[in-house]
Amino acid sequence: MQWKSSLLAAAFAGIGLAATAGTASAAGPTCKDGTIKVGAVSTITGPADFSEVPKATQAAFDAVNAAGGINGCKIDYTIADDKADPAVAAQAARDLIDNKEAVALVGSGSLLDCAVNSATYSRKKILSVQGLGVDAACFSSPNVAPVNVGPYTLSTAMAWYATNQLKSEKLCAFFIIIGGTQEAYKKAIENWEKISGKKIHLIDLTLPFQGDLTPYVIKARDAGCDAVLTNQVEPQVVQLIKTVDAQKISGINWLFLAPGYTEQVASALADTKQPIYVGTEWEPFTEKSSAANAQWVADMQKAGRPLTAFSQGGYLAAQLFVKVVASIDGEVTRESVSKALHEMQPITNPLAGSPYVFGTAKMHSPMQSTKVMKLEKGAWTVETPDWVVLPQAK
Amino acid sequence: MNALLTSAVAGLTAGGTYALLGVCAVFTYRLVAVVNFTGAAIGTAGTFVLIALYEAGFPIWPSVLAGIAVGTVVGVAIGYIMTRWFGEASASTKAAVTVALLVGIIAIGLRLTGGQHPHNMPELFPGSAFRMAGVEVTIASVLTIGLAALFTVLADLFLNNTKVGLNLRALADRPMAAELLGIRVQLLSLLVWGMTGAFTTFALMIIAPQRSPNFMTLSLLVVPALAAALVGLFRSFWRTLAGGIGLGLVEGMASSVDSISQYRSAIPFLVVLAVLLWSQREARWDEAR
Repeated sequence: MQWKSSLLAAAFAGIGLAATAGTASAAGPTCKDGTIKVGAVSTITGPADFSEVPKATQAAFDAVNAAGGINGCKIDYTIADDKADPAVAAQAARDLIDNKEAVALVGSGSLLDCAVNSATYSRKKILSVQGLGVDAACFSSPNVAPVNVGPYTLSTAMAWYATNQLKSEKLCAFFIIIGGTQEAYKKAIENWEKISGKKIHLIDLTLPFQGDLTPYVIKARDAGCDAVLTNQVEPQVVQLIKTVDAQKISGINWLFLAPGYTEQVASALADTKQPIYVGTEWEPFTEKSSAANAQWVADMQKAGRPLTAFSQGGYLAAQLFVKVVASIDGEVTRESVSKALHEMQPITNPLAGSPYVFGTAKMHSPMQSTKVMKLEKGAWTVETPDWVVLPQAK
Repeated sequence: MNALLTSAVAGLTAGGTYALLGVCAVFTYRLVAVVNFTGAAIGTAGTFVLIALYEAGFPIWPSVLAGIAVGTVVGVAIGYIMTRWFGEASASTKAAVTVALLVGIIAIGLRLTGGQHPHNMPELFPGSAFRMAGVEVTIASVLTIGLAALFTVLADLFLNNTKVGLNLRALADRPMAAELLGIRVQLLSLLVWGMTGAFTTFALMIIAPQRSPNFMTLSLLVVPALAAALVGLFRSFWRTLAGGIGLGLVEGMASSVDSISQYRSAIPFLVVLAVLLWSQREARWDEAR
């Protein structure tokens, strides 16, 4: 019987070896229970609604899962609503990290997630591929790297566009300052001054969130501004231009950031003759037929989701995350995902003008390009078919 | 100096708005004894009906009438709540109730009107009336100031020279006694609420195109309006009118001085504080006499 059991043992050993060899040759991500747990902290109810961002991330993950997942691993995605309330936001992040055991945060879009939670993310060693970075902390934290350009870099980029392409000589900037954003906007203008070698003609950091804008547009006119850059959000963009029209001001280019780039603004300002420009965070979402948007449009339509700029952010975050996870060799854990994001090579995606990279820097703002849209007769038209890429400061 | 004049004139638009809404607030207070925080929100509700109809392709003026009708109904509804359940409550309770109602109306209004998304607000009176100190004074702002003045004159005449006016004043001061005298308290109150509802709606329709076109911003115009009403100590229509316009002028001038302009939104608060101190001082004197 001796030889029989020896043979059996040898056979088992052989199978075992083969099995080990099998795993080794099929390099790629593996997962416990067949799922990869991912979360997002977003403002869904409250003064603002950024739910389009994580919902698009969800749609993109659903598409991946339907196609078999990442190397067989399905993504289990949880969206937590922070209600724009710091206490709720902190609780939501803890729940995702400790109870849901998320390996990373993907596609968050929130008024205060970064400001409230970035310290927690650092402490818990979890990284966030933010779908829409809103507050200044999203661009100054080691554990958050947004997939959008963000208001500060976009301010620099639009100022650069004004001097470089619109040939503005007297650029003025009017900013609404909410919370701790004053330094970030000042820095944005300083960066532009370094890049362009020009000086800002007038900078006003006192624009009111609500109130009459007549004194401000008069101030811009009397100061002789030939271009005005402001960070007004949607309804105020409409108010500003209506006030400019009421004051019969002409000869000033009006430059806004991405929040002004919506179809509602276009239709509310259909009658104005003012030259209005906005910078986009990604490939212009109103260009539904552009090749860069094709995959996004197809996936969103399949999921029955509206085609908005916010949804591009969530979708892009999901796409980039899936690519990074697919490059992991071994089990997908918080550690391995963080390591992969830290060591990743820049990934290009047609939705964005800059390659995305997380990396190990103390702060992240990988997206440095915009496309500029011009408002013409109630519709947005592409002013720069090529990306306006911000050069490095001299 | 010239820049200061220019920015003062630029503040006229806001001043007319504050004056008009302030006078409405004083009217409500003197007739139904409520410091009404929902004033601008009632007008905003009616204005958004106009916007919805206009965006759906209806002609402007019938939509304006429909909007005013809705503003009136909302005014009456709030009046009903106030007279039915809080008729006997103290002035401060009533004010607190209207604050709660304001928060509720804004929350519902924001949901129904698509949150912060701007709307296409038709300009009822487009164009510029004249140019002064390098600023176009729009027809709409002339109209708001004119309407505020007209309302001031009419309200003064109505309260002091008509029987209904007298009845209404009795109602505000001593509702119980007025009821015993046979005055139809509930009906008259609702009439006042409906009238101010209609009037503020029309006022808001004129003002809205120059402001940020979303529900919350328009509803919160009530804050400077109440500051103006306080200048008139919730009694004098003329002082409220002057207070509203003055507030606008000061705000305008403040925006031309960099060091002050970041505190510009605190100006109504400072005005309120100054007025309260001033009125207290008078009380002191009275006591001392």
